[in-house]
Amino acid sequence: MPLLTQQIQDEDDQYSLVASLDNVRNLSTILKAIHFREHATCFATKNGIKVTVENAKCVQANAFIQAGIFQEFKVQEESVTFRINLTVLLDCLSIFGSSPMPGTLTALRMCYQGYGYPLMLFLEEGGVVTVCKINTQEPEETLDFDFCSTNVINKIILQSEGLREAFSELDMTSEVLQITMSPDKPYFRLSTFGNAGSSHLDYPKDSDLMEAFHCNQTQVNRYKISLLKPSTKALVLSCKVSIRTDNRGFLSLQYMIRNEDGQICFVEYYCCPDEEVPESES
Amino acid sequence: VVAMLKCVMSGSQVKVFGKAVQALSRISDELWLDPSKKGLALRCVNSSRSAYGCVLFSPVFFQHYQWSALVKMSENELDTTLNLKCKLGMKIKRTHNICFQESQPLQVIFDKNVCTNTLMIQPRLLADAIVLFTSSQEEVTLAVTPLNFCLKSSNEESMDLSNAVYSEMFVGSDEFDFFQIGMDTEITFCFKELKGILTFSEATHAPISIYFDFPGKPLALSIDDMLVEANFILATLADESSRASSPQSLCLSQKRKRSDLIKKKAGKNITGQALECISRKAAPRRLYPKETLTNISALENCGSPAMKRANGDVSEVSENSVSNTEEVPGSLCLRKFSCMFFGAVSSDQQEHFNHPFDSLARASDSEEDMNNVCRKKFNGSDAKYFCII
Repeated sequence: MPLLTQQIQDEDDQYSLVASLDNVRNLSTILKAIHFREHATCFATKNGIKVTVENAKCVQANAFIQAGIFQEFKVQEESVTFRINLTVLLDCLSIFGSSPMPGTLTALRMCYQGYGYPLMLFLEEGGVVTVCKINTQEPEETLDFDFCSTNVINKIILQSEGLREAFSELDMTSEVLQITMSPDKPYFRLSTFGNAGSSHLDYPKDSDLMEAFHCNQTQVNRYKISLLKPSTKALVLSCKVSIRTDNRGFLSLQYMIRNEDGQICFVEYYCCPDEEVPESES
Repeated sequence: VVAMLKCVMSGSQVKVFGKAVQALSRISDELWLDPSKKGLALRCVNSSRSAYGCVLFSPVFFQHYQWSALVKMSENELDTTLNLKCKLGMKIKRTHNICFQESQPLQVIFDKNVCTNTLMIQPRLLADAIVLFTSSQEEVTLAVTPLNFCLKSSNEESMDLSNAVYSEMFVGSDEFDFFQIGMDTEITFCFKELKGILTFSEATHAPISIYFDFPGKPLALSIDDMLVEANFILATLADESSRASSPQSLCLSQKRKRSDLIKKKAGKNITGQALECISRKAAPRRLYPKETLTNISALENCGSPAMKRANGDVSEVSENSVSNTEEVPGSLCLRKFSCMFFGAVSSDQQEHFNHPFDSLARASDSEEDMNNVCRKKFNGSDAKYFCII
């Protein structure tokens, strides 16, 4: 898109963030994986963009789009932060249609002038250019889950297909999803306790789906199912998932997502455990 | 006292089993699991008692089938758990513990073999035809002559102008495996149960048989396979023009826990009560809202111990009731689905095999079953279905 590039070339310096992408779906797909709330906070550094969505001060999803995914990526300041309506952003990114048309790619150029300015999107497909200006908002402070790999007690890496059916069929009449991770039987168990009864799903550590199994200590934690259910969006896009719990019972789900160009991106969900410890009363 | 059940199925068996549960779930949210030495029966009846389904899986259907009748349990323990374990590919193990309630299954007293019209067809043929109907279709009309089979949108619904599509589908008699029409008949029944049993019969690859008589008399959809036997009994719409045709003939009764129910009511002379219910047919009819009475309460409500004909027979009851329907004034016959008689599910059914009314419901413990046969009527302009319990 030489015309478009030329037009904007001179203005480039005034932007604190400029990013362009030959295939907009490499961005929109990842953002869809964390789209469970209306608003998101974006952080851009020279390494790339991190988009964060939170709910109920208990769950946080981060999408990492590293600089290498973009064909052009410039950040003038050390870091650029703004809050944006994610629904609107996704609508704009898929303005030429959300399902891929064979042989046609939508290109994107994204510019942000700085605090108080809108995010500008130039989308081009087949010579047609759409310009979108999305108002940005005051960035909100995001939660620090202080999830540190040195405190991780148990860690499992599974092929995502093993969890996909389990998550799409979760008994939503259950308030919690109970996750058991243990060096001994049942190794890795997902349990729900709904109106019709309870369900348990056991993954033995020698399962073909199990890529890595590092469990040091039996941990049984419950997480609000309503908070975890949205992570299904990331799960269906991913090829592998890493499930980790730390010494406080905090849960980290890392999804490895391969985009249309074969590049790897990560989406991460953090969730804090339900305070009520199972079987504490007995 | 409950039955203990343990059965093991392979993947392909689970598929058939699942389709059966799916088909039954179109009738009701609740399902009876009724194991016996004849196999595992799944039964369902809808809340208005106008549709009933039963699928019996013979013991050889399963990889492993183990059943025992008597496992002691405390009487008050209502919720026990049903444990379903599935081992999926890639070694994932699924365990579902499903709450259940102890209750007594019902079955319909209806002999499909005396129906004047009998058809047998490959499910695929009917399924292909059925996709033509819109998803909003609630009832379909089946019109048959000795030469022709026609499934169409119900007349009632087609009169509604908001319903834009009216479909008719003809199948030639040569398409059927068996085609026997005693008289020209046009019956209307609910569509969704038909769809359910069709998907199920496609899974079993067994032909589906349709048994029916005249409008108002129930229709039976059956699959008779070596391993699986299914019967879905659907009420049909009673025809306003031919009200003389006696509509009622599906009846329900309830399997009792002999041990406690009989004991509890020993002093009340249950047999007497039941007979009273039967004899009341001739008395002025009562209006019962369809959902108010459960079988047991109905039983208790009807009757004084005055009547004593303890050796009466269930078949007598259904015959009586049929003859009786002619007394119903014509105005009340508009838009109603026929009723069903339900009978107790019994464990020793063999002794009643020759009974004319026993094909589906075999009343075993005549003493108990007599109690369960009583009639309720529900007439009203907005009532499409009514039932006899």
